[in-house]
Amino acid sequence: MSEVELFLIKDGENCTIYTLQFLRDMESEFEKFIAKFRDDAEYSEDYARIAAFVTRIARTGALERYFRNEGKMSDSVVAIPVTSSKLRLYCLRLSDKILVLGNGGVKKTRRYEDDPILNGYVMTLQKFEELLRREVANGNVNITESTIETDNIFEL
Amino acid sequence: MKRTAKSLEEMLGPIPERIKREADLSFQISDRIYDLMQERGLSKKQFADALGKRPCEVTKWLSGQHNFTISTLAMLSAFFGKSIISV
Repeated sequence: MSEVELFLIKDGENCTIYTLQFLRDMESEFEKFIAKFRDDAEYSEDYARIAAFVTRIARTGALERYFRNEGKMSDSVVAIPVTSSKLRLYCLRLSDKILVLGNGGVKKTRRYEDDPILNGYVMTLQKFEELLRREVANGNVNITESTIETDNIFEL
Repeated sequence: MKRTAKSLEEMLGPIPERIKREADLSFQISDRIYDLMQERGLSKKQFADALGKRPCEVTKWLSGQHNFTISTLAMLSAFFGKSIISV
């Protein structure tokens, strides 16, 4: 079992942005993604584009058309960018106004499922969403139009 | 609710000006195309069919992350009879 907490990064007018952090870690999942690629010789430009997209999305909202559908039909896992880069940032798009940023990496296989590391990032988000929805149904977590209200620790 | 120690901007670090401008332009163009599709009442599939393109091409245009060529912008402008960008 891994314990994870939800952290608020930015509460904007059109989008509230969160990330996840494992209790065993010093950095959030999104910060781990940044640390890997911000100064990477090969991918720093692709990283900068993703950073610009995230900044823009924080201002305008997490509209469905800005994301690549990943995960399964039954979950809310998406990725950016939509265009040709091999670098992927996986996210949970719960609505136009709620986005949870996860980890990501370079997609070298046709399907993310064929890469155990990328598959792990997607599965973390899938499991978190499943637990979040269960807690909402149980009345332990409240999701409003633009916020997730919880201080819970989730056991993935 | 716990907050991250760093703000989003601090986490992301400096973004080169040219990439910020590229992203802003690309989002503005995609929002313009989306608005024009809405005005015409076109779905993604109908729009793609009308232009002889695949729906996945339209998905890229609407993503806010596509690097448009002048040729594509001219084609879209001719289709809608309206400018997509102004210089």
